[in-house]
Amino acid sequence: MSSPELAVDEQAVLDDLTRMIAIVLEDIGPLDAEITPDTTFRDDLDLESIDLVALGGLLGEQYGDRVNFAEFVADLDLEEIIALTVGDLVDYVLASLRAED
Amino acid sequence: MEPIAVVGMAVLLPGAPDLDTYWRNLREGVDAISVAPVDRWAPELYRPHARASDPEAIYCRRGGFVDEFAEIDAASFGIMPTSVEGTEPDQLIALRVAAAAIADSGGEARLPDRDRIGVVLGRGGYLTPGVARLNQRVRTVHQLVRTLGELVPDLGADQLDRVRSAFTAQLGPSRPEAAIGLVPNLAASRIANRLDLRGPAYTVDAACASSLIAVDQAVAELASRRCDLMLAGGVHHCHDVTLWSVFAQLGALSPSERSRPFDRDADGILIGEGTGMIVLKRHADALRDDDRVYALIRGTGVSSDGRGASLMVPDPGGQVRAIRQAWQRAELDPTEPDALGLLEAHGTATPAGDAAELETLAEVFGPGERAVIGSVKSMIGHTMPAAGIASLIKAALAVHHGVLPPTLHCDDPHPRIADTRFRPIDTAEDWPGAGPRRAGVNAFGFGGVNAHVLLEAAPSSPANVAVVEPEQVLLLGADRPADLIALLDNDDATVRRLTTVDGPSRLAVVDPTPKRLALARRAVANGKSWRGRNDVWWYPTPLAGKTAFVFPGLEAEFAPGGTADVPIGDIGRHGLGVVRLGMLLDANLRRLGIVPDGVAGHSVGEWTAMITSGIYRQDAIDEFLTAFDPDALHVPELAFAAIGTSADRVREALGDHPEVVLSHDNAPNQSMVCGPPARVEEFVTMLRAQRVMCQVLPFQSGFHTPMLAPYLDPIRRSAAEFDLREPTLPIWSATTASPYPADIDAVRELFVRHLLEPVRFRALIEAMYADGYRVFVQAGVGQLTSLIGDTLHESDHLAVAASSSQRDERAQLRRVTAAVWAAGRDRPKQARSVRLNLGGGAPIHLDAPTRNELRALVGAGKKSALDSLAARSPIAEELRSLITETEDAVASLLTARHRESVLRVSTETMPYLLDHCFFKQRADWPDDADRWPVVPATTVIEHLVGFAEQTVPGAVAIEVDDVVLNRWITAIPAVDIPVAVQPVERGQVRVRLGHYAGATITLAKVHPSAGKPWPIPAGERVPDVTGPQLYTDRWMFHGPRFQGVTELTGIGERHVRAVLTTPPAPGALLDNVGQVFGYWVMATLPERTVVFPMHLGTIRFHGPRPAPGTRVDCSVRITSVTDTTVVADAQLSIDGRLWAEFTDWTDRRFDSNPDTVAVERTPERATLSRPRPGGWVLLREYWSDVASRELIMRNHLGSAEREDYERSPLRGRRHWLLGRIAAKDAARTWLWEHGSGPLFPAEVGIGNAENGRPFVYGVPDDHLPALDISLAHTADLAVAMARPAGDGAGIDIEEVTERSPGAVFVALGDAERALFRTLAPKTLWFTRFWAAKEAAAKADGTGLDGAPRRFRVTAAQDDHIDITVDDRTRRVECTTVEHGGRTFVVAWTQNKESQ
Repeated sequence: MSSPELAVDEQAVLDDLTRMIAIVLEDIGPLDAEITPDTTFRDDLDLESIDLVALGGLLGEQYGDRVNFAEFVADLDLEEIIALTVGDLVDYVLASLRAED
Repeated sequence: MEPIAVVGMAVLLPGAPDLDTYWRNLREGVDAISVAPVDRWAPELYRPHARASDPEAIYCRRGGFVDEFAEIDAASFGIMPTSVEGTEPDQLIALRVAAAAIADSGGEARLPDRDRIGVVLGRGGYLTPGVARLNQRVRTVHQLVRTLGELVPDLGADQLDRVRSAFTAQLGPSRPEAAIGLVPNLAASRIANRLDLRGPAYTVDAACASSLIAVDQAVAELASRRCDLMLAGGVHHCHDVTLWSVFAQLGALSPSERSRPFDRDADGILIGEGTGMIVLKRHADALRDDDRVYALIRGTGVSSDGRGASLMVPDPGGQVRAIRQAWQRAELDPTEPDALGLLEAHGTATPAGDAAELETLAEVFGPGERAVIGSVKSMIGHTMPAAGIASLIKAALAVHHGVLPPTLHCDDPHPRIADTRFRPIDTAEDWPGAGPRRAGVNAFGFGGVNAHVLLEAAPSSPANVAVVEPEQVLLLGADRPADLIALLDNDDATVRRLTTVDGPSRLAVVDPTPKRLALARRAVANGKSWRGRNDVWWYPTPLAGKTAFVFPGLEAEFAPGGTADVPIGDIGRHGLGVVRLGMLLDANLRRLGIVPDGVAGHSVGEWTAMITSGIYRQDAIDEFLTAFDPDALHVPELAFAAIGTSADRVREALGDHPEVVLSHDNAPNQSMVCGPPARVEEFVTMLRAQRVMCQVLPFQSGFHTPMLAPYLDPIRRSAAEFDLREPTLPIWSATTASPYPADIDAVRELFVRHLLEPVRFRALIEAMYADGYRVFVQAGVGQLTSLIGDTLHESDHLAVAASSSQRDERAQLRRVTAAVWAAGRDRPKQARSVRLNLGGGAPIHLDAPTRNELRALVGAGKKSALDSLAARSPIAEELRSLITETEDAVASLLTARHRESVLRVSTETMPYLLDHCFFKQRADWPDDADRWPVVPATTVIEHLVGFAEQTVPGAVAIEVDDVVLNRWITAIPAVDIPVAVQPVERGQVRVRLGHYAGATITLAKVHPSAGKPWPIPAGERVPDVTGPQLYTDRWMFHGPRFQGVTELTGIGERHVRAVLTTPPAPGALLDNVGQVFGYWVMATLPERTVVFPMHLGTIRFHGPRPAPGTRVDCSVRITSVTDTTVVADAQLSIDGRLWAEFTDWTDRRFDSNPDTVAVERTPERATLSRPRPGGWVLLREYWSDVASRELIMRNHLGSAEREDYERSPLRGRRHWLLGRIAAKDAARTWLWEHGSGPLFPAEVGIGNAENGRPFVYGVPDDHLPALDISLAHTADLAVAMARPAGDGAGIDIEEVTERSPGAVFVALGDAERALFRTLAPKTLWFTRFWAAKEAAAKADGTGLDGAPRRFRVTAAQDDHIDITVDDRTRRVECTTVEHGGRTFVVAWTQNKESQ
């Protein structure tokens, strides 16, 4: 999307992420209702680091330069990456977008 | 007496392989009774109407069986798998259950001194399977040969010997060493031996009281302090025909083939089997050891009837003594008002037994507060010597959980229950009252031996004994994905209970949680293979190709198993650990039967690959690994970083970083670079700024780069010391992306290149794929599987890790075996389980070559006596030709092997289907598909019967069994369904209609005679509706050709009766039985009353099908009701004679409730949505499962919209449908309010314009006025509104939740924020603001379009908000909706006229 929609609230970002996760999981992953801020990438979704690369790419497409997933995970150690939740990423995206406003 | 604590329990009982399942079954009232497997006793001995007149006739064949669970992990008990076959199965089951009971008590680690642990088991001296097989081998063969010799005196000793050896050969090899296993007390001794328990170990036999007497003995061992822990219980695995015959001769088996303890009509027992054990300790010891205590044994009592009664008629006097003794020992008074809450009775369901027991209970417990009486025999049958322990464990679980479990089939309680304080219950109840929970358990044995155990809840007990059950692995195969979908179209509990089914289309799920099962269903429905995410594997077709082991190298997450903490950065030790783990896994995988066709490795892993390929001598490797000094390894201090992008992109980016090089091309989305740490850090920082994920790895070296060259010599030297041999497996090189060369020198050269050149793992995997490798097993910890997955993303393959830092090794190997099976490989030797053969002494069938040889030998095939008689007697002649004809027919049936034809289903070939349409449409509706004509299940059955009868001319179907109905057969579009007829055994064929349906049909020359129809049950009332009203009031959707219910005669709590007039359409008469059954469901149950047949146990016919117009009496008895199913038996009679009997007719229940009935019956005048003040509608999602949703969908969407539905992505489909229905309902509601007549949902189409805005159109022609429509949905709610075109309609629904300050900032402008600050509560108001903006933006037709601040809130009241856009102001009304404990705001634009 070249002109990203203004993502305005947690729900909107969560919806975006849910859609991206669905793409990474080839559309047959968890149902929307199963993805909540508490969902963990590793234990619940069984995503591996290479899947996070794909997710990072989708985040870039959606939000442009404002959201840099690579920088986000660079600050985390392996344990923290493993324990990442969808909610952590929502917070990060919101913070990044807010920083731009 | 001193209280004794039950600290562990385990079972293997019908329907329950373990304690958890047993408790679930008990609580939910699962009927685990089934038909005897054919290898237990010869099915031809089953003669349902013979009763006691013929001692050989067994008139009942239902009972409790454990075949599906009868297996043992022999090796883990130190038993050679080969010796299992000759061992009495009950000994091995007892061993397994004993081990499980000890595990349940906290495991072996918590056991006291083994000298002070004993075992007492109840076990009878029956003809158990091992004994029966030995008897066959020793006595039967001898008898056979002797009789044969007497009948055919010409036969010589050689010939008779040949018969003897041929017959014995069919019994399998003789195992003299196993004969010792037939000594009965070994059931207890083997436990003591294998588990090393050194106290007394013995069996006791007191018939059905055995288990409780074993408990009494165990209690005594503890009280005398000879033992500190006792295993006690009972074991019974004997379904020998002799046992069935004895009970049949006594008339004790139930002629109705149902166990109905304490029912007025109880008519006998069903035989069960099983094993149960408990672990007992003195309560004081259990408290000291902090054990979990299920219950305390407060008292035990044992007595005999003495002369009081005959050996077989129980004596209440003796029973009373046993019970009173137990209560006296507990120093408790059984007549106290709150003495007990549960009495788990002996309750065999024989009239004499039940009556005597009730008399006993009335005398001992007297009147008092109501307590519950139950008998687990209603669910699992009578498990004989194990009956007492099945009851005791049930009672202990009930006491422990504080739940009173139900008893099945006690529909009309025995009149003498009224004399007692007890009542039966048919669904579980919470245990009432504040006093200590107490339960009594009875077991009374044949011959007059009685036992009673009194249990009481432990005062307070830690529930913290962590018991780790192995995860369940669900393996399901089918011929085609569609069949798999059908298997999965069951509730989770049912799916989890499915035993492994084989077929080319395979699904494996480890630990099948509801989430995983939901994922599995979606993956299978999606059609593409699913390769292991969330432990689900699915392959639509087998993955033909080679298997590779791939060995990981150093990885960041490596945690060397079992060894002390090794810092990841310590290259030498880390590398050594990686190689060792790889070798170990290689051996373990091969032991499981997973053998590679080739090996490869990643980085250092390539060395492991070389080692396992056999290129080195094993002893040289062992020597090297032992002598290897990790500290002697010197490598440069160069850093690695994993880069989340392709090697091409990395090379490009490396242009400006000369000191950093590409070291690994791992996968399309992963590469690695190596260089001086500071330079790598710079490179990584640059790439991160370009949004490329990078990770600097926690170890350093210069492997796979030219920078290692100066350090190479020592490595090269030690490698040169190894002799190289020809490997037994191809090794693939990641340096060349091709197999290793054959030449030894070339191998040594490649070894060096591997250290200096980049790892080309991506190219390697592509090359291996091109060479036919499809299965990649990662033998180590790491991420190779995801690299392979990334590389082969578009190509079907399997990549699975045999080790993981997340799980223990056994759990991970469980995943490998499941995955490999799903990919189409043989089932690995999973967990070393050996199946136990519980059949014994079933007749031996000679195989065809042996039979022919022996026939020639003994001269069979000569003229029979009948032949010579036939010349003289016409009767004999007729008899002879009849026999010949039947034999020929059967022979042709057996040689037919397989018949195939095709059934065309369409409204042309079956016009009557237009009277069997699920959904109503307008009379002149052009598309019959929207009515959904479906072949009724009973019509399917009639067709199956027709196909079966065609295979043998003149034969009639007398019985239909195991009817499976997988999916609807829709008549539009027309479909050609393959029909396959396969002979099963004499006179039986299995007919299958594609993957839609199937049944086993028994053929005969004539119909068997019938018993009497059921008497009219008591307590019947006249139904509220008449037969014809079923159809006029739309209780039933059936059209005239299926309307056969002419009179509803009577309905009761568990039955319904009707008169049918045989309709003309095939299957319609049987369908009418279903209608009568369905009427009972609708008239009786509060919800989920939409039912469709799912399964039919048995139909027996006693005559030809009646002609159309024949009056038929129909009687339906309900046998079980659960959340998902209703089961009934039924009878059809003509002129007072039974014509057809139905057993276990199972209807599946679909979502429906009082709110949806109107839409099911008159969709043209009713909506699922509810109108709300303000002119909008609210719809909640009443339906919860996919099958129910499909029905709702078809009732609302026309064909064009159904196509839209099918095209919409699976995720979101739910909401799409919810929104559609709400919009249709809003439009129809508005139209009705403005004078429209009836309107079916399909007549009002909803489309979406390109900008997403919904619009309304008429179907099939534009008959509707122009309307504006708006809809919104969230969670399981949808709202919609309709307005005249031009008014602009906008509605939104939002949940009231906490929002971030950022959201408020983005959504609201300065003036809005000023207003917002004056309002509270904030969350509610923000939601109102937001919903109002959405609604206004929708009414404008633009949507928010990413600019929420454009739609300004300029006034805010509780019930409305003004939104101003470009100086136009619109009033938006608001309200809140409470639903499911959450609050939602609905906002909708006001009518134009009111503004």
